[in-house]
Amino acid sequence: MPGIVGKTFKPTTFIPVSSAATLLVGSTTLFFVFTCPWLTRTISPAVPLYNGIVFVFVLANFGMATFMDSGVFPRATEEEEDKEDDFRAPLYKNVEVKGIQVRMKWCASCRFYRPPRCSHCSVCDHCVEDFDHHCPWVNNCIGRRNYRYFFLFLLSLSIHMVGVFSFGLLFVMHHLERLEALQTTVTLAVMCVSGLFFIPVGGLTGFHMVLVVRGRTTNEQVTGKFKGGVNPFSRGCWGNTEYVLCSPLAPRYMVPPKKQPLISIQPPFLQPELSDGQMTFMFRDNGKSDAFWTKSKASLDVITLAPRPDFGEDCEPKPGLAESEGLSAQALFKYQAPFGSVSKVQYCAAGEQVTISGHHTASASLDGVPRDQDYFSEPDLDLPDCRNQLAPWALRSSLLQLDSCSLHSRSLSLRESHQYRDQLQALPCKPEDSAPHSSASTPGMLYSRNGSLSYDSLLHPSPNTLTMMDCLVHTGPPSLRCRLPFQPTNQLSAWLPELPCPVLVSRHSPHLKNPSPVCYDSLPKTVMASIQERRETEDERQLQVQSHFQPQPDPGVYHTPHLHSPHPGPCYSGGPGATKSQSPTPPIFGSRDSLIGFGGRVPQLHSSASRSSMTSETSATSMTSVHTDTSGSGAQAPAKPLH
Amino acid sequence: MSIAHSFFPYKILVSSSPFLFECWTTHSLQDLRQQAPIAAKVFVQRDYTSGTICQFQTKFPATLETRIDKQQFEDTIRKLNSLYAEAEKLGGRSYLEGCLACLTAYTVFLCMETHYEKVLKKIASYIQDQNDKIYAPRGLLLTDPIERGLRVVEITVFEDRSTGPGR
Repeated sequence: MPGIVGKTFKPTTFIPVSSAATLLVGSTTLFFVFTCPWLTRTISPAVPLYNGIVFVFVLANFGMATFMDSGVFPRATEEEEDKEDDFRAPLYKNVEVKGIQVRMKWCASCRFYRPPRCSHCSVCDHCVEDFDHHCPWVNNCIGRRNYRYFFLFLLSLSIHMVGVFSFGLLFVMHHLERLEALQTTVTLAVMCVSGLFFIPVGGLTGFHMVLVVRGRTTNEQVTGKFKGGVNPFSRGCWGNTEYVLCSPLAPRYMVPPKKQPLISIQPPFLQPELSDGQMTFMFRDNGKSDAFWTKSKASLDVITLAPRPDFGEDCEPKPGLAESEGLSAQALFKYQAPFGSVSKVQYCAAGEQVTISGHHTASASLDGVPRDQDYFSEPDLDLPDCRNQLAPWALRSSLLQLDSCSLHSRSLSLRESHQYRDQLQALPCKPEDSAPHSSASTPGMLYSRNGSLSYDSLLHPSPNTLTMMDCLVHTGPPSLRCRLPFQPTNQLSAWLPELPCPVLVSRHSPHLKNPSPVCYDSLPKTVMASIQERRETEDERQLQVQSHFQPQPDPGVYHTPHLHSPHPGPCYSGGPGATKSQSPTPPIFGSRDSLIGFGGRVPQLHSSASRSSMTSETSATSMTSVHTDTSGSGAQAPAKPLH
Repeated sequence: MSIAHSFFPYKILVSSSPFLFECWTTHSLQDLRQQAPIAAKVFVQRDYTSGTICQFQTKFPATLETRIDKQQFEDTIRKLNSLYAEAEKLGGRSYLEGCLACLTAYTVFLCMETHYEKVLKKIASYIQDQNDKIYAPRGLLLTDPIERGLRVVEITVFEDRSTGPGR
């Protein structure tokens, strides 16, 4: 029974559970003492036996519901957090569960992104897996591990109450002439208690029976998560019931780590064999391998600048169309760059393909990535393994966020691009595959998370905007002007309007101090600055584009209205005035650190914290669940529990 | 046994467990001081595409590119996934366990290990085995995900001095 966990001891938390226990045990004892003897004599000894068994069952389940660990997550370790990011990490991360976008929220206290169905209990101050509710009558959270016992407790208690009431009524009916006798009086009192409490208990039992059959938790039901939508966690009526009642008992997470036998780890270490021509460049791992990144960047420079036989004649510089194609392609190739987590948001709508026309218009392709490569709370940037995929590779949504410095260094492996060329030529365009798919509908929306990619900046390069061409012209050696490994076709070009993801071209300029409403996990400051700078101009265009492409609110999308706000709720509305707002467009969502009201880790970036906007109802699409960066001012600060 | 802890005495343990946990962590870090310094930590996240069943992503992290074969890593993760699937399998064994628990008013948990716990032990020994045979020689160390609440597989990457810092 939490109530003494890390906090001051509050005796009042034990009042409901004590009174519940007292009532239960007391009433049943009185029943057994005063009513059962007559029943045994008159009807059968089976009566007290039956009642006894039911009562034992009630007690056992009550005890389990009260004392069992409900599935508490241990706090995340320090290393799990991305401390090296310059930019505030997003408050929400999206993950696809059986085709439906589910939002994972950052828990400021526990320092991790809450798994789906997990919620933080403010009373107990921990995150609970498959959080149902906090029950004051057992003074415990009801979660994955003890929900079954709680449900069985309710069921058995209802049955017990019905039994006690019925047998009590039988007794009273036969002792009407002696109502003032002690036994009769006590039986009447017990009947009153059980009859009275049967109303709420029975109601709750019925409510939970519905929840069990529907495969929902109380938390989800009350917050209306699946209002009019599809519950991705449901396994069907029978499956849900089976899962609740018959699933194996889940393990406890709050166990002391076992003492492992020490493994001596000393260099020299074995190295994996690299195959010839394998030049897959992986970038950025959770922001922790910057050194690696830097080093490989240099090596990449060496590699990519050299002409390659793979490209053959394709590498001949061709002016005009070819050049722009090549540059666009280069831009595509270099999508991943160091923008780690940004690239994580990729949506694999089958059939969506890259379209690159000869006019700087580039767009993201989503195909080819396995569907399980959705958002990771620990972003990992790597290039899709085209060697193993037949489809054209999936370019992440951060595809065209280019760091001009990296344009020539973060090219894909040439072997892969060669392969891609072959594959693309073999593959027809499949427009029908982009049919509404809950994840397919969202990718475009999610692009906005990764950057305001504006078509227009590509279609109509402004004088202020360096296009990819410009970037490449400035920074790319002639050998980079390779032709695209594939030819854009009319069919492909037709895709262009389908893609709601505008393309951002980074500007080769020092970062600006404008706030970034869109959050990236680890973008270089230069890129972020350019994104910031372009945001105002692209906002309207983006809105237009997005409204055009915005799908109907996906009923399946699992979004959380802020009815049931976690403990940081008060923090949202309060919002210290410390954060400076420099962006004309307040971000939609706050960053996770804004939960604790601290400034961001990046002193350079100052963005408004739209805490009020965080409580606003957002559309069901993932686009709006895309985080926006609300990094406030200030230095990196440790998280402080809000409650 | 585990269920003994889930009764009242355990709750007191829980309340002090964060403090104790830190002690344990410190202790394990001291052990690691004799080891090579840690260069990075890679976190393999859960794969929620099939719901809340325990699956980890098989995508090969970038940092490990130069340290281990992709195939080996994927094999490890796939094996872990299959073990967790076995642990969570709804079948005859779990029914039996549930019925027995009900009939004995859950006292059976005091004497018997649950199916999940048995598989967790198997997983722990598998991870230990993998560490000994494959990961430690390559300067990596897998952490049992149960220590992280089955949220991540933490892979500690040790610095490879033979190739210079930061790889």
